[in-house]
Amino acid sequence: MDQLAAILSQTNFTALDWVIVGLYPLISVAIGLIARRYVADMGDFICAGRGVRTALGIATLTGTELGLVTVMYNAQKGFTGGFAAFHIGLVAGVTTLVVGITGFIIAALRRQEVLTIPDFYGRRFGQKTRILGGLVLALSGILNMGMFLKAGSMFIVGITGLPPGGNALMIVMLILLVLVLFYTIMGGMVSVVIADYVQFVVLSFGLLIATALAISKVGWTQVFASMSEIRGEEGFNPFVAEGTFGFDYVVWMVFLGLASCALWPTSVARALASESERVVKRQFTLASVSYAIRVIIPCFWGACAFIMIMQTPALRDAFFPEGFPPPAAAGTEALDSLYAMPMFLGRILPVGIIGIITAAMLAAFMSTHDSYFLCWSSVITNDVVGPLMGGKLSQRAEVKLTRWLIFAVGVFIFLISFLFPLREDLWDYMAITGAIYFAGTFAVLTGGLYWKRASSTGAVLATCAGCFAVFGLRGVQKGLAALIRIDPERFASFTSARVGLATIGLAVVAMVVGSLLFPDRAPAGQPIGKGE
Amino acid sequence: MASWMLLWKVVFLVVVVFFAGLAVWVTFQGARDIKTLLSTLRARHEKAQRPASD
Repeated sequence: MDQLAAILSQTNFTALDWVIVGLYPLISVAIGLIARRYVADMGDFICAGRGVRTALGIATLTGTELGLVTVMYNAQKGFTGGFAAFHIGLVAGVTTLVVGITGFIIAALRRQEVLTIPDFYGRRFGQKTRILGGLVLALSGILNMGMFLKAGSMFIVGITGLPPGGNALMIVMLILLVLVLFYTIMGGMVSVVIADYVQFVVLSFGLLIATALAISKVGWTQVFASMSEIRGEEGFNPFVAEGTFGFDYVVWMVFLGLASCALWPTSVARALASESERVVKRQFTLASVSYAIRVIIPCFWGACAFIMIMQTPALRDAFFPEGFPPPAAAGTEALDSLYAMPMFLGRILPVGIIGIITAAMLAAFMSTHDSYFLCWSSVITNDVVGPLMGGKLSQRAEVKLTRWLIFAVGVFIFLISFLFPLREDLWDYMAITGAIYFAGTFAVLTGGLYWKRASSTGAVLATCAGCFAVFGLRGVQKGLAALIRIDPERFASFTSARVGLATIGLAVVAMVVGSLLFPDRAPAGQPIGKGE
Repeated sequence: MASWMLLWKVVFLVVVVFFAGLAVWVTFQGARDIKTLLSTLRARHEKAQRPASD
C-alpha cells in the first residue's frame, strides 16, 4: 500500500483541479431540479415522452455507454493486451453500424412502442415470461454494476493521488452516488438525457485533448515501436493463440458488439425513447463511431501507460515485480493494472486540464449510473411488480416505486462494490455478468421478432439457459471447485469467452427445441419484426 | 506484424477524426434538440391539464 501511495502521489493534480471537479456535479443537480417540472407520467419518466431526436439521442447514447468504468476496463485491456485490444472497438463499431443500417432488433422494438424489453416479452410470450425476463435482467444488470464504484474509486485514487488506504475515497464515491441518485430520482429520463448531453460535450472534448497530450508526451511513432519491441506480434495481432486474446475471444467480441448496442437495455432504452424508427436507425448508424471510440481511445491510453511503465524502472518493478511477461504463478503481488491509466494521466496532463479531464470522467461515471439506475429500477417496477400486482399500480405509484428502487439499487451496489474482490480483468467480468441476461435475450428477441413459431416455453428455457453464463466467473469456478473438491486449475480452459459463447449456443438451442416441442396453443402474439 | 500495426494506426486516426466531427455536430444540434424536447413536453403537459381545469 505504501508503494502504491508513493507512486500515485507523483500526480499533477492540484487544488485548482479539485475546485473544477467540485463545481461540476452542481450542474447535474440543477438539471434534476429543472427537469422535474417536465415529468408528467411514467412515459415521460422512462422514455422522455419519446421525443428524443438524433443529435440528442447520440449524446445520451454515448453519455451512457462511454462511462468512466468503460474507460477503465478498456484502458486495462490496452495495458494487458496492447494494440491488439483495438479489435474490440473495431468490432463494436462495425456491428453497431450494421445494426443502425439494418435496424436489426432495435427498429422492430421501437415499432412496438414498448417501454422495456421484458414489456415486449409480455406482449409476445405472456406475463410469466415477462416477469422471469425482468428478474433475470435486473439481476444481471445489478451484478454487472457491482464493480462500478470500485473501478471509479480506483480512477480517482490513481489520478488525484488520494491516499488509497484511507476513507477519503469512499467518502468521495458516496457523495457522487448521492448526487446521481438525487437527479435521477427527481427527473427520470428527461434529466438523464439533458445531463447526458452536457456530459457528452465535456467528455468528448476531454477525451480528444487527453489523447493529443498523450501522443505529444509519449510520441506517436515511439508508442508503436516500443510496443513492437516489448510485446512483438501479440501486441498487435488479436488472433495469436498464446497472446491475451485468440480466435475464440475475437468471436466473443463480435457477439458482445451486438449485445452492447442491440440487446443491452440501456442502449435499447435510447432506441425506445427516440422519436421514430428512422431516428433510431440514424442514431445508431452515427453512434457506431462512439461505440468504437469508447474502446479505442482508452485502449490507446492503456497502451501508452504500459510503454511509460516499461521505460521507468521504479514503475516497472511495481507493476511487474517478477519481470515481463509476468510468470503464470507469480509469488510477489503486483500493482493492479487498473491503476496504470489514471496514474499515467496524472503524470502527463497539466494543471487545470487534469481537473477538466477528471470532471469529464466523473461526468461519465454519473451518466452511466443514472441510466443504469433508471433502467433496472423501471424494469422491476414495470415488468416484475406491475404484472404481479395485476396492473393495479397507478401512474403515480409506479413513479414513486421506481424512485425508491433507484435508491435501493444504489445502496446495494455501494455495498457489493467494496465487499467482493475482482478476480479477472474488469471487461471480462462485465461481459460475463452481462451475458447472464443477453445470452438468453438474444435468443428470445430474435425468435420473438423474426420467427413465427417461437413459443413462450422456448422463451422461458432460453432465458434460464442464459443464467449458465455465471460459470464464466473465476470466483464462481473457484467456489464450484471447492464444492466438488477438485483442483480449480481444471477450470482454467473455461475462459469467459468460451463459457459465454457456449451459453449463447445453449440459449439458442433451448429456444428452438422448446418452441418446436411445446408450441403455444393460443399464441400470445405474432412475429413482429416485419411490421404490419 | 507490420500490416497489423498499419491497420491499427489507420483505424485510430480515422475513428478519432470522425469522432471529433461528430462531437462538434452533436454539441450544436443537441442543444437545439433539448429545446424542442422541453417545448414538446411542456405543450403536452398543458394539453393534459386543460380538460381538468375547464
